[in-house]
Amino acid sequence: MDKRDQLIHKLRNIAVKTPENEVEVPEKVEGFGTIEYSAQTCSACKKCILACEPAAMDMDPTMNLPDYLTATIPHDGFRSKNRESLVTLLQELKQEGDVVAISVPDGLPGYGSIAWAADQCIACSKCIEACLEDCLTLEKTYKLPEIIGEVKPPPSITVSKDWEPFILCFVCWECSHAAADLAGLMHLHYPTNIRTIRIPCLGAIEPMHIMTALENGVDGVLLTGCLLSECHYGGDSPKAGNFMQYDFVKFWMDVLEEIGMGGRIHIDSASAAMGIRFADIVKEFTEKIKNLGPSPIRGKLEVR
Amino acid sequence: MKKLFLCTCNKTLDKKLDFLRIEKELKDVFGSVQIHDALCLKEGLAFLESEVSNEDRVVIGACTSQIIGMPMSETMKTESVSFVPLREHVAWVHSDDLKGASNKAVVLLRDAAIRVDHLDPLTVVENHMEKAVLIVGGGICGLKVAADLLRLGIDVTILEPCPWDDASYVEAGRFMADKETLTKIVKELVSATASATTICCTITGLEGRSGKYGVSLACLDGKISTIECGSIVFATNVEQKPPPLAKKLLYGKSDRTILLGDLADLVEKQEPKDVKTVLVAVDPTHHISAVEGGYLLRVVTEAAEKGNTVIVAHSNIRTDDENIYRAARKSGVIFVRGTLEKIEDTKEGMVCRLENTLESQIREFVVDLLVLQTMTRPRGDTAVLAEIAGLSLDEDGFITTRYSKNKPVQTSKKGIYIAGNGKMPMSLGDAIASAGNAALEVFKDIRASTRRKGWIPIIDEEQCDVCEACIEACPNDALRLVDGKVTHITQHCEFCGICVSACPTRAIEFQSHSKESWFARLEALAENHKKMEGETPFIFVYACSECANASIDLAGFTGKGYPTGTYVIQFPCAGMVSPIEILKGLAVGAERIVVAHCPPGGCHHQTGDHMAELVVKFTKDMLRSIGQDPERVKATYMIAALPNKMQEEVAHRG
Repeated sequence: MDKRDQLIHKLRNIAVKTPENEVEVPEKVEGFGTIEYSAQTCSACKKCILACEPAAMDMDPTMNLPDYLTATIPHDGFRSKNRESLVTLLQELKQEGDVVAISVPDGLPGYGSIAWAADQCIACSKCIEACLEDCLTLEKTYKLPEIIGEVKPPPSITVSKDWEPFILCFVCWECSHAAADLAGLMHLHYPTNIRTIRIPCLGAIEPMHIMTALENGVDGVLLTGCLLSECHYGGDSPKAGNFMQYDFVKFWMDVLEEIGMGGRIHIDSASAAMGIRFADIVKEFTEKIKNLGPSPIRGKLEVR
Repeated sequence: MKKLFLCTCNKTLDKKLDFLRIEKELKDVFGSVQIHDALCLKEGLAFLESEVSNEDRVVIGACTSQIIGMPMSETMKTESVSFVPLREHVAWVHSDDLKGASNKAVVLLRDAAIRVDHLDPLTVVENHMEKAVLIVGGGICGLKVAADLLRLGIDVTILEPCPWDDASYVEAGRFMADKETLTKIVKELVSATASATTICCTITGLEGRSGKYGVSLACLDGKISTIECGSIVFATNVEQKPPPLAKKLLYGKSDRTILLGDLADLVEKQEPKDVKTVLVAVDPTHHISAVEGGYLLRVVTEAAEKGNTVIVAHSNIRTDDENIYRAARKSGVIFVRGTLEKIEDTKEGMVCRLENTLESQIREFVVDLLVLQTMTRPRGDTAVLAEIAGLSLDEDGFITTRYSKNKPVQTSKKGIYIAGNGKMPMSLGDAIASAGNAALEVFKDIRASTRRKGWIPIIDEEQCDVCEACIEACPNDALRLVDGKVTHITQHCEFCGICVSACPTRAIEFQSHSKESWFARLEALAENHKKMEGETPFIFVYACSECANASIDLAGFTGKGYPTGTYVIQFPCAGMVSPIEILKGLAVGAERIVVAHCPPGGCHHQTGDHMAELVVKFTKDMLRSIGQDPERVKATYMIAALPNKMQEEVAHRG
């Protein structure tokens, strides 16, 4: 099982609700997306299949006639002239009625379309670069319903009166960790529900870490780092660790919302001088999770 | 100048066709129109020779090009000639409709006028065949090929992994015939091939094309070398393998279960006193070939003749010679029709429970030996060789040939032939015949004209997506991927155009048959038809230039008439027709389109009939999906032996 498979496996594990909508992928977030395919210009040359490392592309022995009949031929035509003729002629001969895709007979070379597997794709764009006919584009949406599939709601859990949330807090070892230290030095009180994990930079947190925490019944995951544009690994560069992670966390918040785990992650920043701020962040997030109640995954875990 | 010559066929056609009107109608497309009474005769040919210059584009409206094509093309100075078979396709099939026939002639001649505009000069293909042949495998078949070729004066090199002697030849071939015959044949072959070069090597690589193959060899002493040859003949050997049921019948676990070959060895060395009871079991799950059956019968006969009690349990034994079976019965072999139910290895012997299917009875035999009939399968190195040469194997591991009836020794690679058992288990007679056949094909290659003319596919590298569809479609190994580019090996090309129908991008176009020319011709045909005949429906028949065209010509000869408004359009092969030409035909207004190809499996280019059927099936699916009547398109075979096929296919209109 490679990393992407593991991540999807974990997402399916923590899903408590069947996702209904596709999730928009923020601009900076790479590795997630949808390959849009237009069959009418495709010459079935298999270049994308050969280029695709995670094997998310495969030949589908069907001819996508609906695409052919709705296609508009650009001014200078398609690169594939034979496809262009075929599309023009089919549009010319079209009669009333619905058009359906047809299968290509076995042993007839030169026809077919591409099947794309959403859960395998790492949105690396290698297929798009390999395509000579411009029939592939990368859309910044994540096809969550297709990837997660049908979800059976977990057994409900009874909330005991003395329940306290359990929260993991990833702190970067530059500013945020210092802020947590300062909060201690200042004898500031904040809830005992959090356990801090020191990591080099906010940008170093992988979705796998967050999902593993949630998978194991953690009620909330808090990420704190340096102030924006003050990251020790990139400063104010748009590629700085915390900048990047904000977009990622936004993406994962949307994803979790869709699969019924909304509101259980939060990203914030506190500089080394902001001990009070750090204590406030923890207080606020703990309060929020208390209101949300325990993680529904606990139901699954208890059954196990 | 564009010139039209019409022939009245010794003043017989002018009663069926209105030549004066045809001439008048075509004045605008041709620079000159001339009517002659006998273009095919000496004076007619002389007339053409004097009238046509090498810059002219010529349309001949006379009889079928199968008759006049050759003499006329040789006579005229220009290569841009298009033939319209007015006699077979018009006059003789529409004999009761002077007006309709003349109209059709005008439409066809106008089409020919467009056709000559798109004609490319014929490509000259030269192939210098290396006059050396490599024979892989020096068994009986290899020796036979070598002997035949040596007699025909061709250099042969026999390649064999290790040195062999006469005894090992007989040993390896003993499943093919009886020992006496084998020994005699081997002796003859060995002496006939004394002058052949023999090397002890294995093949490690193979490149090149028919006429110029380079074979890399690794010799026993570690030396690596290459030899050049024009053709290669694979005469690979087979071995005897235990049948699928062997494990269940304790083969390898019990000393009492042995294979047929072991029995033959045993019988050979057997002392007269030491007689045994033997049960020979034929595996009912394995389809037994005639040569395997013959081998089994010979071995059991020998065993019975030595005084052993031999029982053969079988469901069906095939043999190519009934006399072997008679000899077996005479020698005392007991044949029981039935299958082995259960066996048990005991001290007294192997207890075999046999269900006799004829008597519906269970019988029990206690035998000293249980003998398993063997399967004849290719030797392990056949698969390695096939991979190096790029040949495909069938499910039993034998090398597949191009077409079992017409091309039994040709492989999918041009210039590589297969003789004998590499293709399937063969008896001595079949194997020798197959080897003779392979030798003859090699000889034909070497002796054949090294200069051929024809239209070939032209590849536009800019347009090509290297999807390899054309390579997959080419039945002649004429397209290969070389350095990431699709490359045409003209020496292998049979000028069929099947590759063109597969191309999705139009990166490969057939000379004189570009898509553009088809569009122009089909549009003009429809337009001219409407001009001449108004709203009367018309049919296009896309006919292959081999069987289908001959059938349509013959419909003319035999007077099997059909309605006018049927336009026969010739394709080099029906496999060249793609959905685009069919849909274009419908789009310009043809009521129906018939794609006529050679009979199933009888395509002159191997796959054209099959491809045409696939393309038509696919096009019909497309039509059904877009709401058109799929019955407007049909693929069918036409064959010269059935001249009324055309009449049947286009009898009804409207």
